[in-house]
Parts: sequence; structure tokens; C-alpha cells
Amino acid sequence: MPQAGGAAKLAAMRTFLLAMALACIALSPAARAERLSIGVSQYAASLNPLLEASVAQSYVLGMTLRPMTMYDADWNLICGVCLRVPTFENGLAERQELDDGSVGAAVTYELNPDLAWDDGTPVTAQDFKLAWEIGRDPAVGSVSGEGYRRVLEVTVVDDHTVTFLSDRVTFNYNASGIIPMPEHVEGPLYRADPATYKTRTRYDAAPNTPGLAFGPYRIAEARAGSEVVLERNPHWSGKAPAFDQIKTITVPNTAALEANLLSGSIDMIAGELGTRVAPALAFQRRHGEDYNVIFRESLAYEHIDLDLTKPVMQDVRLRRALLYAVDRQAIVDRLFEDKQPVAISNVSPLASYATTDLPHYPYDPEKAAALLEEAGWTLDGRFRKNAAGDQLILTIGTTAGDRTRELVQQVLQSQWRQVGIEVRIQNAPARVFFGQQLNERRYGDMAMFAWFAAPGSVPRTTLRSSEIPTEENGWAGQNYSAYSNPEMDRLLDEIETTLDVDARDILWAELQQLYMTDLPVLPLYWRATAFILPKWLGNVQPTGNLSPTTYWIEDWTVDR
Amino acid sequence: MPGSTLASPSAEARGRLRRILRQPLAAASLAFLALLALAVLAAPWLSEQQGIDPSAVDLFNAMAPPSAQHWLGTDELGRDLFYRLLLGGRASLAVGLAAALGAAAIGTLIGLLAGERGGWLDALLMRGTDAMIALPLLPILIVLSAIDLTKLGIPPSAAQSESTALIRLIVLVALVGWTTTARLVRAATRETLAQDYVLAARAMGAGPARILLRHVLPNILAPLMVATTLSVGQVILFESVLSFLGLGLDPGTASWGRMLAGAQDLLWEAPALALYPGLAIAATVIACNLAGDGLAAAFDPRRVARGS
Amino acid sequence: MLRYIAQRTIEGLVVLWLISFASYLLLGLMPGDPVDLMISGNPELTTEDAQRLRAAYGLDRPLVERYFAWLDKALEGDFGYSRHFAKPAAAVLGEAIWVTLSVALPALLAALAIAVPLGLWAAERPGRWLDQSLNLGALVSLSLPTFWLAIMLIYLFAVLLRWLPAGGMGEGFGGRIEHLVLPVGVLTFSIAGVFLRFMRASASEALNQDYVRTARAKGVGRVRVMLRHVLPNAALPLITLVGLQLGAIFSGTLIVEILFRQLGMGRVLYDAILGNDYNLALIGLMLTTAATLLGNLLADLCHAWLDPRITLR
Repeated sequence: MPQAGGAAKLAAMRTFLLAMALACIALSPAARAERLSIGVSQYAASLNPLLEASVAQSYVLGMTLRPMTMYDADWNLICGVCLRVPTFENGLAERQELDDGSVGAAVTYELNPDLAWDDGTPVTAQDFKLAWEIGRDPAVGSVSGEGYRRVLEVTVVDDHTVTFLSDRVTFNYNASGIIPMPEHVEGPLYRADPATYKTRTRYDAAPNTPGLAFGPYRIAEARAGSEVVLERNPHWSGKAPAFDQIKTITVPNTAALEANLLSGSIDMIAGELGTRVAPALAFQRRHGEDYNVIFRESLAYEHIDLDLTKPVMQDVRLRRALLYAVDRQAIVDRLFEDKQPVAISNVSPLASYATTDLPHYPYDPEKAAALLEEAGWTLDGRFRKNAAGDQLILTIGTTAGDRTRELVQQVLQSQWRQVGIEVRIQNAPARVFFGQQLNERRYGDMAMFAWFAAPGSVPRTTLRSSEIPTEENGWAGQNYSAYSNPEMDRLLDEIETTLDVDARDILWAELQQLYMTDLPVLPLYWRATAFILPKWLGNVQPTGNLSPTTYWIEDWTVDR
Repeated sequence: MPGSTLASPSAEARGRLRRILRQPLAAASLAFLALLALAVLAAPWLSEQQGIDPSAVDLFNAMAPPSAQHWLGTDELGRDLFYRLLLGGRASLAVGLAAALGAAAIGTLIGLLAGERGGWLDALLMRGTDAMIALPLLPILIVLSAIDLTKLGIPPSAAQSESTALIRLIVLVALVGWTTTARLVRAATRETLAQDYVLAARAMGAGPARILLRHVLPNILAPLMVATTLSVGQVILFESVLSFLGLGLDPGTASWGRMLAGAQDLLWEAPALALYPGLAIAATVIACNLAGDGLAAAFDPRRVARGS
Repeated sequence: MLRYIAQRTIEGLVVLWLISFASYLLLGLMPGDPVDLMISGNPELTTEDAQRLRAAYGLDRPLVERYFAWLDKALEGDFGYSRHFAKPAAAVLGEAIWVTLSVALPALLAALAIAVPLGLWAAERPGRWLDQSLNLGALVSLSLPTFWLAIMLIYLFAVLLRWLPAGGMGEGFGGRIEHLVLPVGVLTFSIAGVFLRFMRASASEALNQDYVRTARAKGVGRVRVMLRHVLPNAALPLITLVGLQLGAIFSGTLIVEILFRQLGMGRVLYDAILGNDYNLALIGLMLTTAATLLGNLLADLCHAWLDPRITLR
């Protein structure tokens, strides 16, 4: 009897397995259809480019939309929608006197006539005008409204020619990150009621509506917080991309992200927002045979802001001692296998105007000790005290839960203790750290975090004295160190308006020298992005700047 | 009349101890916990004897295998893993014990009050308990982590000390963890108050405070001890989950949860980094549970009879 | 009975209202508003941008004023717009509830299906190898951190054996079931231990009661004694426990949801709180509160139904 029962059970099991197998066959993709699943660690809240500016969003929208101009992997300004980059030399840009007597720039872009929205409507100058109108409208609350408001006027010359008049002439006068908005879809929605536009935009209400994409792909389905499914844009006339379907899948945990990759749920991990360098290195050691792991230095500048309103911190000798006391090269070598270079100033070594003619701060604990003695902090046992008998205790904060930063922090703490500086760690969740502690200078004495900037952008908001957050200005501004030096202010202002490259390079060099002399901020290292790609995927070119790799998705190749 | 009022307290305690020791698992667990507590307390002294600074980073000796110098090897920053574990045990056990005791104290107070008073106060307190159970910890934790302690009159030296995050966590868990105890104590209180001898005592003019102290408290002591022992383990686990979410203690303080959560990146490179804190957590939680069982049995002789 | 339910419901509503106010204040007290978070990642955002954005999101008004504005709308059924998911908050949670239920409910039932019979069984044979090994199993279940177990199982079943997907929601009914196996398994394992120990304890308590001894002495069969006499009594405390856990399970599957890519209540609430999405966080908190209160009420009603000695006032 038990045997018979066993046989029956086995038979039932077999039937079940067969049914499962059949179901699997039915579900398996049609032959030859190429699909790509990309693992990312974050998701975009909004898919409307005017309502959010996040890496997660630009990664997805890089496949469906393109900005007027963008930076390529060599950090050259190239066209996204326009046909050629306007310059004063080629006559597409010209200086123009404004009503208030100042000088602005009128920049004309010729649009690529082959571009069409995915419902067949051509992309026209009207679409750019709409983007500008929505972007600058205070009622809408777009993320970078000031940028749009610097453009005083948008003139539609003809369907495929548009002129932007900006209120000043800057070195990057011809760069425009503006992304067109489909006038025939979003125009009526916006005009009906600008104040509630953000809750009605089709980009979020129904992102698969035809007419929202003009890139090689369109969004087929978006599940907020988890997945975005993209399919070919039938009206894309550029180079045909290799994949029929692309999915971006959000996995917020690094270990789970790796497991998804190894189990085949995803094909690759995006470098822009995927894994960190240390886990990627570990992954490379174990699976380097089966995957390509690519590291690319980025423009993310990891550093420590010092609260210069604290009397202790105002002594430049202490600030220099802090930097001499830490072995940044060892940190970079041992923790990141040199993939993330030591920062010798606030300018990326990849920038053409980066200089090495600077005060350098190599690891030198003796020099640190000497500087501390000079500053009046004498050794008393294992710790340092000043003449008044106060012990030298500093606090350092960063974003809690950021594994890399927390490791680096512990190394720093240990190395500072070696020279007698007692350092306490007090971290806070990202929203507390960025939302309150940084701008209200409640981070203790030191705050470790990173800045991302576009190539060539001037660090005005982080270094100019007018950008110091105060109670009076509602804690706005990003000069969290409260660094104030008229010389620095002058350099920042001049760099922004100097167009001559050589003259700018000189100013940039002066800025870096001043920065490393005053040391309002302790530079740590330049972060790298880590891409984990399958062997069969080719031609993915990390840029290291804010342009996501998906701007060139049509160039990705499959070879299996 | 319960028999306990007849036996002398010390003889009774001896009897209970004997009953615990007669259960090998419970006795072993208690011994383990005692040993662990001892090791953890002696850790700084031990490491000094051996000439090891468990907080000193040595990047050139990271993830080293076990050796005579480093018994369990070193962690990803080259620190001695054995002493990190002991240090981590300090934080984990401190959080577990202090938070469990704090929660037990609050819960007992509220449970006694609700059980003794009854009526609208009871209803109010019990619905409050319901609300407390429903309130997720996360936002409270974030709010607490953002409060500027110096503004509350706490001197900067104390507010900036290494243990601030530790104390914050203890206070938080105690503040939200009392609900089970409160329900337990309330139920036991009501049961006891309905007993004949309590009614008799009341009839003889004993005040509520006296009744609670003399009759109710001794009766609820047993379930209270069991619940508290169990919650020590739960808090240790909770700390590890918070570390996983990045909301745990500061990295300056070693804790088992933090070590375990941190090791997930290096699972294959250095399994030992995950194995030891994981084992430490599991062993401690199990020991707490077994000790709780032992205590429960010792306070309730019938169970021992059944159990052996 | 009806009066009791009505009274408890009214009490529940009051608690709910209080919680809504407390949560609003709590969320309001949290430092930094959404705009601060936007600024932090983007050095090119100016002071003017920040002020304009604050006005656009209504963040420049005082907290209490914002609460009553919210309450006013909420009572009309408008729970506002979730900034974090760019959808109406109610719609986000409407989906999340089903995801959570699809994970938590099977896990709850499976845990009960494991714990109740095994608990009875173990209680009947105290101290024997079965009792001992079940106790050990239960202890392992409640001493393993969930996240650890989840990562291990993902590696085992998805990476090494490739039997199950590593995470995700799955497509179609079959796909969904396949994607549920691991998360439900992990959750079941992590709650079954507590249930089992509870069940065993209360069953052995019941076994020692006089009426059970009487029944046995009268020669009633073992199975019959267990089912008719022990189970109903032993189930009482377990019901309370399950009722209490309902709220916790509702919001507490966070770890499982993060690791297995399930966009359920836990994930949504967590993201809403960390991303400062007021509207979503608020009604999420309301819902978990309501679930807890309901769980308690149901547990109490079950008690009354099973145990005639209890009268409800």
C-alpha cells in the first residue's frame, strides 16, 4: 500500500513537472529576440525630465530622450538633438546687448530633422519652447528652474531651428541640457493648470503613452519602484539598437544585486548606480572569467568639509596636520586597489585645466605632529591638549549605512589617533545628514561626502562666500564649510565669465593653489564607477561624467 | 494560600536554583551567558595583556588568516577579529540587557496600573499599547538620530561621546518594546487580584500599594523574568536588522549586528567575517531562550516534573 | 457582543486619529524636507530654486496647518499625491497591500500549519527526541537574522542550484507563485519558531488540566483528546499572538521585500519615510495601525467564541 501510494505520488509529481516545463516553454522568449535586463540600485520617482534630476532617471530616459547637447566619454561637448554645436566662431552664437545694458548670448541650434516622437510626430522647435516654458514656471516647481530662467527668450525660427537668448555670456554658453517636451501631448496638459501639472503629466500618469519618446526606445511599462520595460521606438530613424526589449530592474541591496546577476535574472549591473568599487573588485576576483568588470574614474569628489566657524578649525595648521596625518594612498591602494585615485585638489585630474603645481600633502605623521605642536596642541600621554588644558577631540559625520564611507571613516579615525587627535564618529541617515546637518552646520567638525559636477563647471555654489548657508537665508547655499576668502570669490567670478581657454586655465590653476593652501576642505579621492557586463555585450562606454552610458545605447553590440 | 508564603525566601531561592541546575540545557545556557559576560567585560584587559589594540587599523594586514597573534585572523581593515567580537559583544549585550530591562520596567508599571485600576484607565492604557505596537520604529529612530542633544541641555562632551548612539538605541527600544510585558503583567495582575487570598487581604484593610507589592508582584515575577530573558535575544537580533538597514550604531562602536551586516559584501572572500558574528548572535539568542525556559520551569515546578 | 464590537471600533477610530496626528508630527519633526534632499545631490541648484520648490510643495507653511489641511482632504477620501512614486498615494498603497498580503498571508498560514500540529505533537511527548529536536529547530528559527537567512537561500536556490528566481514579482500566475516560494519560505521559517514554541507551551499547559486527565481516564482516544480538548484551549494564546503579529507582519516584511524585490508595504513605507514622502508615509502608517487594531479585535472575538468563560463587555 505505501508503495502504491508512493508511485501515485511520483506520477502526480511527474505530471506537475511536465506542466511546469510546458509553462516555462510557453513563457520563454521567442527565438532571436534580443533582450537585456539591467540591474540598478535606485529607481526614479518621476519619469518626467523636468520634475526630477536624478541619475536613476537620466539612466532610463537616456534611452528614450536626449538633451540638446551632452558631454561624450572624452568630455567634449557634442550634439544630442542639434546638428552641430553652436559657437561664436561658426556664427551660430552671437553676443547680444540686453535691455539692462549687459551682454547676453543668442545661441541658435539647428535640430536634427530626422527625429520623431514615437507616435510619428516630428520633434520641432515648439517642443523646446514648451520645455522652457514649463521649466521656468514657478507654479510647476521644476528641479532646475533657475537654469531655465537664465534663458530670457526662446525664439522659434522655423520647425527645426530654435534660438535661446541667455542673460549672460559664460564659458559654456553653448551647452544646453534642455530636453524637448512633446507639445502635442504635454502642451495642453500643462496649459490647463500649471499648478497641478506635476500630478497629471503623462510621463508619470501613463508613461507608455505614444508621443513621449524620440530616442531609440520607448517605455512599454513602468512599475514605480521596481521595473521599467522599454521597447523599440518604431519611429527612430537613427542607428538601430541591438535589443528588442530592455528592462531596468531595481535591486536596492548589493548582495541581492549580485545574486540576481549570477542567477541570470539580470544580465548586467549599471555602473552609474549599481555596485560600489570594493564589492565590484571582489566580484571581479571571483567571476572575472565570466564577466567584464570595467572601472571608470568619475567626477564624484569624495572629500571632508570642515566647519570653519569652529575656533579650532580656523587654524590652518590644524587643517594641514589633519591631511598630513592620513595615508590616503594606502586607503586607495588597499581598499580600492587604486581604482579611485587620491584627490590632490578639487579639480579632477582628467580635466584639461587640472594642475599638479600645488601644495601637496603626502602621508607624513611627523610633519602632522610638528604642525600640531606649532598650533599649541601638545602631546599629553596619548592625546593632545592646548594651553588651557582642553583635549583635542573632533567629530566626523557621514551618511550612515554607506559602507565605503564608513570603512574609510574608521581608517581615518585610527590614523588620526596615531598623532594624538581623538576623533569621534557620529553618522546620520542620508536624509538627516543632507537634509539638516550639512546645511545647518550641525555635522560636528567634519563631514564626509561627495560632490558631482558637470565637466568644467565652476565650484561657485560650494566655495563662494555668498553661498554660505545661514539662518537668515533659510540655510540655503552649499558652502557648508563656511569658507570665505575674497580672493576665491574673485577667481570664481572671473572663471565663469572668461571665455579664453588659456586665460581660464591660469585662473583655474590659481584657484586650485588657493584651495590647497587654505584647505577649507580635505580632499580624499575621486570615486570610480564600476560596470559589470556580460562577455557578450560590447561597446558600452562609461563616460565618468554625468552623461549616462545609455545616451549611446544604439552603439551597444551583442556577440554570442 | 500559595505555598510560597510559607517557605523562607532563601530556602525558596535555593530550591529554584537547584531546579534550574537540574536542567542541563538551561544550566549550560546560563553558564554560557555568564562566561560570555565575563569575557566581554574582561576584553579590554585581555587585549592589553596580549598587546593588541582592537581598534587600530592595519590596512596592510587585512583579512589575514588565524595566527598565534590573531586567533581568529583579522577583519577587512586589519583589526583583530577575536577582540572585535568581544568588543562587539559588549555593545550587543549592553543594548540587549539594558533595553530589555528598561522595557520590562515600563511594561510592569503600565501593566500594574491598568490591571489594578481597571475601567477607563485600563481601556486607555490598553488602546495606547495597541497604538504603540502599530507604530513603526523607523521614523522614531530617524527623528531621534537627528535630535541635537546639546540643545536638550546635555553637555557637548557627553553628547559627542562614542556611546551616544548606543544609549539612543537603548532608550528607543525600551520606549517601544514594553507592550508585551504590559499586556502580560495586566493579565496576571487581574488574575491575582481575583484570588481569594487577595480579596481577603483587601478586606482586612490592605491598601492597593501593599497588595501590589506583597501579593501581585511576587506572582508576576516569574513570567516577567521569562519575558525579559527572551527579549534580550530579540533586541540583539533587532540591532542586527537595524545595522543591515544602515540605521544601527555608529561605525566607531563594534557590534555583532554591524559586523554581520558589513560582512555581506565579503561573503565569499572572507566567510569568517560573517560566520563568527553570526554564530555569536545565534548562540546568544538561543542561550537566552533556553535560560528563559529554565527560569520558567524553575518557577513552575509542575513543568520540571513533566519535562524530565 | 455587537455593543462590544461597536465600542472597540470607536476606540479604534480614536486611536487611529491620534496616531495620524502623532505620525504627522513625527514625520514633520524629521529633519530636512524633500527639497533639501534634492539640493544635496546637485551643486547647481540655487537658493532661489530651493525656495520656489518649497513653496510649490507647500513646505513653507507651519506643520499644524499642514496637518489639518491634510486631514480635511483625507476625510474626503483624497490622500494626496506620492512624490516618491509619482502616483496618488492611495494607488501606490493599493498595489503594495496586495504584494504584502501575497507574501505574508501564505507565510502566516504555513507557519500555523507547521506550528500547530508539531506543537501538539511535541507537547504530548515531552522531553523525547522529537520534542527536543523540534525545540532546537524552533530556536534556530528565531535566532537567525532574517536578512542573513534570505541572502543564504538566494545564493543556494537561485545562484548555485538555479531552481528559483533570485527575486522579483514574476509575470502571470505561475510566475508569481515561482517568485513567491523563497520570500514566503524565509518569512515562514522566521515566524514558525515563535509559533511552535508558543503552541507547545500552551498545549502542555492544557494537557495538565483536570478535564484532559479526566477525559484520558475515561478512555477517550489520544487523537480525540488532542483535537477536542487540548487544541481549543491551547489555541487561545496563539490567537492572541497572531492577532498581535498581524500589524507587525503587515509592516515587518521589509527585509524580505528589500532582498526579494517585492514592492510591498514594508518597502513602500521605508522608502516613503527615508525619502520624506509625507502623504505616502502617513497613510501607510495609518494602514498598519488599522491592521494591528483589527488584528487585536479579531483575536479577542475569537477568544470569546472559543472560550465560553470569557464574556465581552
